[in-house]
Amino acid sequence: MFSLLRINTATGETRIEKYSSKDFLLGGRTLSSRLVSREVEATCDALGKKNKLFFCNGALAGTATSSANRLSIGGKSPLTGGIKESNAGGIVGSRMAEQGLRCIALEDAPTGDSAWKIVVVGKDGVQLLDGTFLAGKGVYEKSDLLTAQFGKDAGCITVGPAAEKLLMASGIACSDPHGVCSRYAGRGGLGAVMASKRVIAMVILADGKHKPAFTNKEQFKDESRRVVKLLKENPVSALFTKYGTAAMVDICQSLHVLPTRNFRHGVMEGAEKINAQTMYDTIKARGGEGKTQHACMLPCAIQCSNVYPDEGGKLLCSPIEYETMALMGSNLCLKNLDTIATMNRIANDAGVDTLDCGAAIGVAMEAGLADFGDDQAAIGMMEEIRNLTPLGRILGSGCKVAAKVLGIRHAPHVLGQAIPAYEPRGTKGMAMTYLSSPMGADHTFGFTLRDEAKPLTKEGKVGLSKKFQVIGSRMDAMGMCNFVRYAVRHDMTPLLNLIKSYYDVDITANEFDDFVKETLRIEHHFNTNAGITALDYRFAETFYDEAQPETGEKMDITDEESAQARQW
Amino acid sequence: MVRVTFKLTEVGRIELDLPTPLLFKEVLRHCIARTGYIPGGYIAVRKGKVVNLGDMVEKGDEIDIFPALSGG
Repeated sequence: MFSLLRINTATGETRIEKYSSKDFLLGGRTLSSRLVSREVEATCDALGKKNKLFFCNGALAGTATSSANRLSIGGKSPLTGGIKESNAGGIVGSRMAEQGLRCIALEDAPTGDSAWKIVVVGKDGVQLLDGTFLAGKGVYEKSDLLTAQFGKDAGCITVGPAAEKLLMASGIACSDPHGVCSRYAGRGGLGAVMASKRVIAMVILADGKHKPAFTNKEQFKDESRRVVKLLKENPVSALFTKYGTAAMVDICQSLHVLPTRNFRHGVMEGAEKINAQTMYDTIKARGGEGKTQHACMLPCAIQCSNVYPDEGGKLLCSPIEYETMALMGSNLCLKNLDTIATMNRIANDAGVDTLDCGAAIGVAMEAGLADFGDDQAAIGMMEEIRNLTPLGRILGSGCKVAAKVLGIRHAPHVLGQAIPAYEPRGTKGMAMTYLSSPMGADHTFGFTLRDEAKPLTKEGKVGLSKKFQVIGSRMDAMGMCNFVRYAVRHDMTPLLNLIKSYYDVDITANEFDDFVKETLRIEHHFNTNAGITALDYRFAETFYDEAQPETGEKMDITDEESAQARQW
Repeated sequence: MVRVTFKLTEVGRIELDLPTPLLFKEVLRHCIARTGYIPGGYIAVRKGKVVNLGDMVEKGDEIDIFPALSGG
């Protein structure tokens, strides 16, 4: 049986429910999206009391399996107006498992002027404590205060000052293995949803006594070791260990899809100054607290994360991911890793998504508020977000809002969510994925770039995108890290064997994929019920009218074609 | 001469004196024979365009081979 803890944020009432269905077994996005679909009125105000926020760990959470402790957070998104699942690494998923929980639901909402609360979940029950002392503080300070009060091993979830003001680019920060709230479920504005319920933090204490009850412990151990072996032997996974996602800078520059100058170009002169090798060499040269490999959750055999130090060797930001390096780097024509790391740190402290805010600053630069390539101006705009100035609030609402306010037509988003770091006119497969994701422009599923024989043509991209939407969604579907997919891309047996030896439940590969497809179907259905139409799944018109200079390509995917890619 | 660079690997750049034009899959076969390095998933790029196994490689071509990673 799997436990769902419901917490009414208006009344303080709590209730535990037990379920045994396979969607609860799988957890992750499989569960969060079903719960949103069943329990959230699609037309509701995402920041109102009818929205709910579901925190789900996955099928293998709390075990010694590598990379199995992602936390899926689901609700209706204030940014896209549709369904949202955003997931993060860290230790919260395993702390929930230790408390015997598959899901925590934050429901209802008190009035907007109610006192801030900290939800504390432990072996003795749930408490709603006064959280006023956290209000207005940055995430790093909040994290320190939570650690001081609840211990560094507690799994903490908090939001930044941007969320407290209900800004739509605000994310949810989760504790990393060192007790720092730096692992973000960044996309879709779910931080604002949490804050709308006047919950400023949630803490899962490290006093849980629940142990996994394996059906066949020895087989589970064998299968876990097999997963580690697959990850270690897979050449792609192994490279993630050395360079992390930053390796994409060179790949995208070479393919002319590196977002540059507010997605006007696909190439940035001097991109090598912010590429993986430069980052690796900088971290190594500076030493100190810097780390070229780092685990965002425990255990993890990939360790693709990093710790980027300042010149003195002190931690400046952890982690820096490719998407941030592009949206806060090349997209703004910035060629300094220290600048990007500083902006990333401010974003983490303000509690906002680096992609949506990077894209919003790109729009602001195109509007003439600063010059592209101006490091200090870019950092200054991030400070405006953290300080909640009028401009900062506009930028912290994402690039769609920023573009509307600042009079820019070339707004890089789909459904209001900023386009990730692959210029869509140069990769029609990724463009198809952006146009068919129920989450708005998204890169973590439907990742076609590495398998596009002809990136510039749209032919065959409906099928290619759909193929990778399934492959890319498998890991989200059970709370695994997305990068495990490389090791099981052609054969899910190792993970399905783990489920069998843990729960004594048979799930075939086809049945598993049916769950994945059904999840996508449910998510699109929610969006339709929310009032999102086929006409909303478009890029800004400028992407269709103006060719990207390096490839000569315009966007040419039709509404009918993207609709096909959303059919499940 | 054909120049192939295996990016982000210890292999680096190699130069192959091959009769051209030649299918890329043959070029790749020569690379593997020379270095012993077998790329897993990869993306091969020549002048901003993806090179597929069935594409022809010409004299003087420079091809970059990237490990097929993804963002996160």
